[in-house]
Amino acid sequence: MRILLAEDDPMLGDGLRAGLRQLGFQVDWVRDGLAAERELTSGEFAAAVLDLGLPLKDGLDVLQALRARKIATPVLVLTARDAVPDRIRGLNLGADDYVVKPVDLHELGARLRALVRRSNGQSQDVLRCGDVVLDPGARHVRLHAALVALSTREFDLLHALMLSAGRVLSREQLEQQLYSWGYEVDSNAIEVHIHHLRRKLNADVIQTVRGIGYTIARSQDGA
Amino acid sequence: MTLGRAKSLQARLLVWVLGLVTLVWLGAAALTWVDARHELDELLDGHLAQAAALLVVQQSRADGDDDDGVADAPSLHKYAPTVAFQVFHEGQLTMRSANAQMMPMSDTGAGFSTIRLSDGANWRVFATHGAEYDVQVYVGEQIASRSTILWAVLRSVLLPLAFALPILALVLWWAVRQGLAPLRHLSQVLVQRQPQALEPVVLTDMPSEMVPMVQALNGLLLRIEHMVASERRFTADAAHELRTPIAAIRAQAQVARGAGADTAQRDHALQATLAGCDRATRLVEQLLTLARLEATSGEPTHQAPQSPRVDLAQLTRRVAAELAPSALGRHQALELEADAACWVAGNDMLLGVMVRNLIDNAIRYSPDGAMIRVVVAGQAEQSVLRVEDSGPAMTAPEMARLGERFYRVLGNAQPGSGLGWSIVRRIAAVSGGQVEVSRSRLLGGLAVQVGWPAKPAG
Repeated sequence: MRILLAEDDPMLGDGLRAGLRQLGFQVDWVRDGLAAERELTSGEFAAAVLDLGLPLKDGLDVLQALRARKIATPVLVLTARDAVPDRIRGLNLGADDYVVKPVDLHELGARLRALVRRSNGQSQDVLRCGDVVLDPGARHVRLHAALVALSTREFDLLHALMLSAGRVLSREQLEQQLYSWGYEVDSNAIEVHIHHLRRKLNADVIQTVRGIGYTIARSQDGA
Repeated sequence: MTLGRAKSLQARLLVWVLGLVTLVWLGAAALTWVDARHELDELLDGHLAQAAALLVVQQSRADGDDDDGVADAPSLHKYAPTVAFQVFHEGQLTMRSANAQMMPMSDTGAGFSTIRLSDGANWRVFATHGAEYDVQVYVGEQIASRSTILWAVLRSVLLPLAFALPILALVLWWAVRQGLAPLRHLSQVLVQRQPQALEPVVLTDMPSEMVPMVQALNGLLLRIEHMVASERRFTADAAHELRTPIAAIRAQAQVARGAGADTAQRDHALQATLAGCDRATRLVEQLLTLARLEATSGEPTHQAPQSPRVDLAQLTRRVAAELAPSALGRHQALELEADAACWVAGNDMLLGVMVRNLIDNAIRYSPDGAMIRVVVAGQAEQSVLRVEDSGPAMTAPEMARLGERFYRVLGNAQPGSGLGWSIVRRIAAVSGGQVEVSRSRLLGGLAVQVGWPAKPAG
């Protein structure tokens, strides 16, 4: 799951990036408001962690600009401004969550997953598709209740597809969601991961829509 | 008088006024006493003399009646025992009042005398003789009877006072109470105030005597309000500023714990945790320094003439030596030009904090390999400390905002609180210095100059 971290403090940004990566997030870090707005407008991120006191453009202004452009990426505001009016203002301007520093990394991760889940119209953290069950918190995938060993990329790819179950995702969209900046992505990397997933799970779990991309069918039991 | 110790203003006023009224009244009574006594003495002495004259004349007429007995005059009035007379004819007592003794009342042949007689009372006696000296007459009157009359006169003066004094006291008590009503009202208003309520006291119909007091009170309230507001702002700022370093420490600590087998990541995170602790410590120190400075800034920022003098050149040399390693660590060239001693009035510790902040800022916010130049110079009209660097240039609005609490120049990667500048400005103000920020003509970065007016010798 790819997250944008907008934080101007070097030490805190470094810590959050490392911590969220440990929790299995793909993290890209920007240090000012203008960069945050630019990156979020591109729409490649599942969610964003936004500090309010950002240089060049204040976090709340970034948030307002995004929402004005109908960009619905879930945004978690992480700030030192703890007064109730500040919280209300942040939420009113379109923040999906408001967390006051300091924050526990695991809590931050859980909140981010909840935001992404809700933005995809799901109410449970655990995703289910037929016999395949994916737990983003524990980073487990089970097939017929048996654990399946997946690589990080494979897990993230399955996660992305299951989050958007019922919709077709292009190869470019999947690449953007899986890889943070600075990675050279092989042109057939997605195909390779899909191939591995089909072998480890069921061949018919992931369907190919020729010329468009890949999809996972929405689960019939309505989980 | 122990009046000064009276605690209540009302009681003080009452005691003073009643005391003075009583004094005046007693003075009047004393005058009356002296005057009345004088008049009474003259009148009664006159009566004594006249009575004696009558007796002499009567005795002369009665001459020839040879009667060896003594005639005792009847006592006809209840006051009669207080007056007495004796008539001697040729040495023989021939006539006397019933209460008169047999011996002559006085040794004096003629005129007034005051004598204690055998009955133990004091008498005023008038003695005279007839034309032929064979008749001797004494007429006497008890002094006590005179005193009785005098007391009667005085009573009429003193009695009304005795009755009037309590009534006067009551009326005065009421009047003073009415007069002091605005004071009581003020105290009520103040008692009912909440401790947080610091708005000025407004009283309607305030007497002119109270206006300066209430004005002073309102001035005090205003100063307290400023102080409380500044304290609140400070606490809020401090809490706010400490959140980010603490969040960083927490995040890095969690990263270290979750690093597992990745020792490189764990070492990096632990290093960052320690750095975060140092940073939080520095922030707390700066906040405390600033709080102390603000606490001392209630008074106008002029140093007392007897304040100690500090050699700025030596002080700057010491601070620069302490900071040189961190400059060298970043391959920066730190250069000090402070040849002659340069005396400035101020506190050694505070000036040290200021110089440290200035040089530290220059090192911190200039890139690696930058040039930093520190100059201390005693000029004719002022002593100057100048810190220049070849760091990034600042825009005029950015320079103007330096020194606002927690203001940080956008886009710099150095962890900092923006408090250093507040401290520099505060200390400069306390020691009577002027801070000027400009673009360094020599090095292209920031130039900060603190100037103190040169003090006259001695």
